[in-house]
Amino acid sequence: MSTVVLPRRAALATLPGRRRTGRRTAWTLVALLAALTLLAVVARLLAPDDPIQPVAAPQLPLGSPEHLLGTDAIGRDVLSRTLFGLQTSWFSALAVVAVGLLVGGAVGVAAGVGGGWVDALLMRVTDLFLALPSTLVAIALVAALGPGLRNTLLGMSIVWWPYYARLVRAEVRSVVARPHVEAARLAGVGRVRLVLRHVLPGVVPTAVVTASLDIGNVVLLLAGLSFLGLGQPAPAAELGADTAANTQLLLSAWWVPVVPGVAVLLLSLVANLAGDGIRTLLGTRR
Amino acid sequence: MLRFLLRRTGSLIVVLLVLSAVVFLLQQVSPGDPARAALGANASRAAVAAERHRLGLDDPLAVQFLRFLGHAVRGDFGTSYRTHRPVATDLASAFPATLELVLAAFVVALLLAALFAASSALSWPFAGIGRGVLLVVATAPPFLLALVGIVVFYARLDWLPGSGRGEGGPGSELAHLVLPATVLAIAPALAIGRILRAGLEATLAADHVRTARSKGLGQAAVLGRHVVRNAIGPSLAMSGLQLGFLFAGTVVVEQVFSWPGMGNYLASSIPTSDYPAIAAVTLVLGAVYVVVNTLADVLQTAADPRLA
Repeated sequence: MSTVVLPRRAALATLPGRRRTGRRTAWTLVALLAALTLLAVVARLLAPDDPIQPVAAPQLPLGSPEHLLGTDAIGRDVLSRTLFGLQTSWFSALAVVAVGLLVGGAVGVAAGVGGGWVDALLMRVTDLFLALPSTLVAIALVAALGPGLRNTLLGMSIVWWPYYARLVRAEVRSVVARPHVEAARLAGVGRVRLVLRHVLPGVVPTAVVTASLDIGNVVLLLAGLSFLGLGQPAPAAELGADTAANTQLLLSAWWVPVVPGVAVLLLSLVANLAGDGIRTLLGTRR
Repeated sequence: MLRFLLRRTGSLIVVLLVLSAVVFLLQQVSPGDPARAALGANASRAAVAAERHRLGLDDPLAVQFLRFLGHAVRGDFGTSYRTHRPVATDLASAFPATLELVLAAFVVALLLAALFAASSALSWPFAGIGRGVLLVVATAPPFLLALVGIVVFYARLDWLPGSGRGEGGPGSELAHLVLPATVLAIAPALAIGRILRAGLEATLAADHVRTARSKGLGQAAVLGRHVVRNAIGPSLAMSGLQLGFLFAGTVVVEQVFSWPGMGNYLASSIPTSDYPAIAAVTLVLGAVYVVVNTLADVLQTAADPRLA
């Protein structure tokens, strides 16, 4: 099995060839990310109508006075549904990335610090997971567990950690080889303290940058699962599912399926840009 | 090289076994009961138990897994709950369509990647706009790209067909391919293009290229003989990886365009919880993905033996 970290689509952003942004631009992008998160937090308060109940005539066009983004096939407010869906999408993506980072990070640190057979065993398992097509396995997993937000998040988390394990393990190995760790060990620093105080600080920036660049990919994959009917069941407002449910309106009321899709684009675009910004600010090599 | 090949084949077999184990275990936890599905909802409990025994569903898990493997290797994936045909028959008719779509998308991705990289490395005027568009479009969910493509190029402009595979001559088939293949190609195009651009830029700045220029070689000769060949290695590896991703990416795109392939078959099997079909598609597309990745790895090592 090759020992290179397989660059999945997630990691492409971190490969050479992606341009660096200036610090000022970087802060702006991070502020944009913060604004989007704030929007997701207050989405329920901003939504003008109930997302589940019909509130007006069906298929009102864009820019209708009471309903800015129109209404869907049964007269539900598209803006309200999109805001609710945006909240679910954003926090789900953050949750999956956070779980991936924590579980993968723990495995990576254990392998990197443990060395020897611990390292060999953990990385064998990780490589096996990495070699499987994560999208397909996620689809099959959620289909088997049954749809629903909890199962979707569970399924995604199961396929998403190995990449972080590889990354963190490689970083830990490179930090452990540096003189300051050797010095600390010679000074009699205990194992736990060595990891927490002398190794982890060198690993966290890379892991955080990679994770932030990864959020956009998770947003896209979750939207894809939702589009296939593997998200929350029917009346719930969810971006991918709302697009899928309204594709037959494409030629008569295109905005009904397109608006939720544009919201997904917005989330993943902001996440990607902000990831670039965070990388500039933390100044990591990767 | 031989040792590398043996090692790579060994790990390929292990990964394929793990893939089948994952699919098998998922089939175990999925709520559907094949015996109940075969007999219908009104069958008596005793009849279902007898059917379970006949199908071997009361055997130990290990025995069931071996039987599952044996059937899978012979192309027997059971009967679809939805179409009531053998899943293998359904897949056999769907696979060529998926292969056609993926290969077309791969060609489009390579073309776009080459444009992206060359326009940036050689600073073509005005190409920055095109690159910016590709950067934004690549962050869009594929289903949005597909829908916008249908609205613009089918409904408004009426340049291209919006769904199906097309019959009646190669012209119609090609026209039906354009939209789905392009939508599928966008994200891989950017991924390959970035790597290619990095390679091109590094090579353009290399000493041997300066030497080639200073001995008076024209741009075409410099690029063709001294730059492209040296710059292309890492992007070949990325291309192999992305070819694997394309197979997984067909699920959403085929569904939106009603493309009669395996992705569409999987997407239609999900709402009906047709688990034999879901398992079979996961297994087949997953195996293709794993094999393609291994081949890309081997090819890259053949091109650059230092990697072995």
